[in-house]
Amino acid sequence: MSLSSPSGRGVRLTSNAVLLLIALTFIAPLVWLVLASLNSTASLSAELPGTPTLDNFAQVLTPALSFVPLWNSFLISAGSALITVVVAILAAYPLSRFKTRFNKPFLYGVLFATGLPITAMMVPVYSLFVRIGLVDSLLGTIFFMATSSLPIAIWMTKNFVDGVPTSLEEAAWMDGASSMRTLRSVVVPLMRPGIAVVFIYVFIHSWGNFFVPFVLLLSPEKQPASVSIYTFFGENGAIAYGQLAAYSLVYSIPVLVLYVIISRGVGGSSALAGAVKG
Amino acid sequence: MTSSATTAADHPLRARRIGVLRARTLARSVPLLPAIVLIAIFLVGPIISSFYGSFTNSSLTGSAAQNPSFVGFDNYVNLFKSPGFPGAVILTVIFIFGSAVIGQNVVGMLLAALMRSGGRVVGAIVGTAVVAAWVLPEIVSAFAAYAFFSEEGTFNNLLSLVGIDGPNWLFTFPMLSVILANIWRGTAFSMLVYSAALQDVPPEITEAAEMDGASGAKRFFLITLPMIRGSISTNLMLTTLQTLSVFTLIFVMTGGGPGTASTTLPLLAYQEAFKFSQLGYGTAIATILLLVGAVFSFIYIRALKPEVD
Amino acid sequence: MKNKRLIGAAAAVLAVSAALTGCSGSSQSQADGSKTIKVVYSDANSAALVSWFTEVTAEFEKSNPNITVDLEPIKGAVSDYYTKLALMNSNPSTAPDVIYEDSFQLKSDAEAGYLAPLDTNLAAWADWSQYSDSVKQAGQGSDGKTYGVSVGTDARALWYNKDIFAKAGISVPWQPKTWEDVLNAARTIKAAVPDVTPMNVYSGAAIGEGASTQGFLMLDYGAQNGGLTDSSGKWLTGSTGFVNSLDFINTVYSEKLGYGPQVTSSTTYSTQVRTQDLPAGKLAIDLDGSYIPQNWGATAAQPWPDWTNVMGVAAMPTETGQAPAQNSISGGWTLAVGAKTKAQDAAFSFISTALNKDNAQKLAIDYSLIPVRQDVSTDPAYLASNQNAAFFAGLIPDTHFRPATSQYSQVSNQIQVATEAVMTGQQSPADAAKAYDTAVTGIVGADNTTTGK
Repeated sequence: MSLSSPSGRGVRLTSNAVLLLIALTFIAPLVWLVLASLNSTASLSAELPGTPTLDNFAQVLTPALSFVPLWNSFLISAGSALITVVVAILAAYPLSRFKTRFNKPFLYGVLFATGLPITAMMVPVYSLFVRIGLVDSLLGTIFFMATSSLPIAIWMTKNFVDGVPTSLEEAAWMDGASSMRTLRSVVVPLMRPGIAVVFIYVFIHSWGNFFVPFVLLLSPEKQPASVSIYTFFGENGAIAYGQLAAYSLVYSIPVLVLYVIISRGVGGSSALAGAVKG
Repeated sequence: MTSSATTAADHPLRARRIGVLRARTLARSVPLLPAIVLIAIFLVGPIISSFYGSFTNSSLTGSAAQNPSFVGFDNYVNLFKSPGFPGAVILTVIFIFGSAVIGQNVVGMLLAALMRSGGRVVGAIVGTAVVAAWVLPEIVSAFAAYAFFSEEGTFNNLLSLVGIDGPNWLFTFPMLSVILANIWRGTAFSMLVYSAALQDVPPEITEAAEMDGASGAKRFFLITLPMIRGSISTNLMLTTLQTLSVFTLIFVMTGGGPGTASTTLPLLAYQEAFKFSQLGYGTAIATILLLVGAVFSFIYIRALKPEVD
Repeated sequence: MKNKRLIGAAAAVLAVSAALTGCSGSSQSQADGSKTIKVVYSDANSAALVSWFTEVTAEFEKSNPNITVDLEPIKGAVSDYYTKLALMNSNPSTAPDVIYEDSFQLKSDAEAGYLAPLDTNLAAWADWSQYSDSVKQAGQGSDGKTYGVSVGTDARALWYNKDIFAKAGISVPWQPKTWEDVLNAARTIKAAVPDVTPMNVYSGAAIGEGASTQGFLMLDYGAQNGGLTDSSGKWLTGSTGFVNSLDFINTVYSEKLGYGPQVTSSTTYSTQVRTQDLPAGKLAIDLDGSYIPQNWGATAAQPWPDWTNVMGVAAMPTETGQAPAQNSISGGWTLAVGAKTKAQDAAFSFISTALNKDNAQKLAIDYSLIPVRQDVSTDPAYLASNQNAAFFAGLIPDTHFRPATSQYSQVSNQIQVATEAVMTGQQSPADAAKAYDTAVTGIVGADNTTTGK
């Protein structure tokens, strides 16, 4: 995809310069997090700590504060992302490939549901969970989180499926393969980047969600990191900025790592682009 | 993500199968079942119940918690009469427009386009920086943004390097601060969507235009953009709907203030439902919030006509 | 090869599901003869409270081997705790047996049917006589029954920096007699020590309830014809005390004796006051809670051991020094029994263990509370634990509790709006008070208001 025309080099240089400038802008707000986490007397300013220290990390890296909540966060986020992705692919395929009168209203309904303020409906959700005995169940919470991301996931996935040209499926169809088989063996491999986007999207949303697990889980040992981070916001206004920053990093790094792993896995060689060139 | 819905519509097999039993259609819809079941149980029920709640005086505490009574449209009437409501609607629209429609979409598109013409390494660096802001848990990015814009924060530290004595942004320009923070936090999504979309634009088309002597900008606006119109409209809708319910970011940064200068509808709904325990009234605000989303969606659908089926 | 991806994913979902159902719901089981009681409390960054509940639970389980305590600390902001409690209480299967209940939510939660009356249990509890009538009242519902037992209280007063006072030439110990004395001290400091903020009176919407409890009500309940309600509980409108209190705030901010709007509009306003400006000697007088030294203790993020020498404390005087000469506002938490409990006696037994003299005293010392049991407040060990113990105990006879009705939080919001309008100069005190009157009438209904003097 290299531009070989004479103006190409100039374009690339300008592009790189603008890109790096934007990158700096995006990194700037994170500088405070890093500096404050290394500072035992951190305030709101981004200042170099007199003597950098790992004390803040030592204080937050305990089983009760970090490891158990992070593991819970992982269970909840991975569980709901997995369920969402599988259910969304199953739903998106027929929606993309077969025209029925049902499609349009369903898709608009789904689209509309992406804007639902989930917080506002947590009260009836809680009563529902009590009735079906799912309160304080990680699995119940996972299913709810999965469902609340499902509308946007179906919408996104359907768009990705639309992007997979049907010509490739035809061979499989001709061989008499069922649509499910075609989906598995032809479509899914071609839309891996799309699936990765949906997975990460749902994972991140679940990872950061405070209110849903806070309401639906009762036992403290089941609470995820999004809830335990409130330990660092003081009751009477005392905020330990250094520890808060350290915990924020501990809490954020797993999702960053996950993102890097997944995007490495699918990003480099774009299956989608390759398929188009066919 | 592309607008190639035509591939589905023109499905040759589809054409051949016209007239096949209706049962066939039904069978094909079976994979939709898990989604439908989950949504029916966990979303539709609570939504109906919430909507009904907006017509009652239900409350989290006090005597109304025990026996909520039906109050008809009282909550809505009171809402429309309340002095804070029009302001909250306007601020919500400003927030959506500034941070989602303009900010995230334009910056996301710019990044996606530049990353195609820029170097691979630079692209990777920028991608990581932008995605890092998006990947951060909401409470963390909210607090980072709070620290960044606070009076002694990083932003003013940077400004002082060039001799500018910056104000307390959160106080002086609360809406600008939360809008910029939301652009920072949300652009990655648009960038990813547009990168994928641009990848699907066959290079032959732009190359042909280049032969005809069209300039880069002209090629981009006249050829590339129309080709990814579907992605644009989808992305506009999704970012709008996500931005609509942004709560934590604003709550942590400004708390809706100073005064009500950054109180958008989600903050108003939270305050009424949870701080004042007026559940019914709070749900009425949430319903209005959905209506605002519907209006935006309607405009996109009308203007950009994404082929949804 | 890749076509097994979906199946693999589905299998993984099932595996995770199985693993999770296996471990969920295990804590629900209830054995035949023995009982389990569920105790919930708010774990909002207070290690002292967590360890107190844990120790009390251990002690209780030891002396009651047939009762198991399911202790559930709830993280999150205190306002989220209220929400979660209301949800838990609304369903019998999740309703707790013992609740750590804010005295300020108690009346409306009792009205909502979340709490069980304790009168029968209390009649048989010898220690109940240790509680004064005003403290007992704080645990009563609007039906006159008692729903909660106070674990301790707090109070508010004027904290001042003795070093700055010395620089300004004001002699310490300082005890102003009237509001004017307070303002004059701030004016003196402004003139003599220009680089410090003379005085902080929490005001405005950003600080939320703090603007009411720490700020406005500290004035209003000490004003002539002040207070939010009359003795029958009707809300006052057109009260001169209200206007005069706003006038005080107006003076503080218009004469630039207080913080500028950049600080007062910040969501970390109180953090700045307590953890930065007071220790740094940048604030001379702070109208604030009795508990603020917890920001400076050895376990705080930035300990300030020298506070015991630097910080003095004085009672907030009444407007003109009229009786009772001093004013304070108190809050505090109670222990209550959930209305849906199946083990009321066991639940009360937990409360009586938790609030026996030793445990109540431990909480008062570790959590900087003002004790409400008379035997604790006179105990030498308690008095020796805190240099201001006797001072704050002396405020309790004249202290006021906020009107604990379900409407208070909305009214309080209107107070914050009024203080903000005055503080920023948008409205005169009289106009802001008029706007408050209209808003309050709208919230509680004209029948529940009465015209003040």
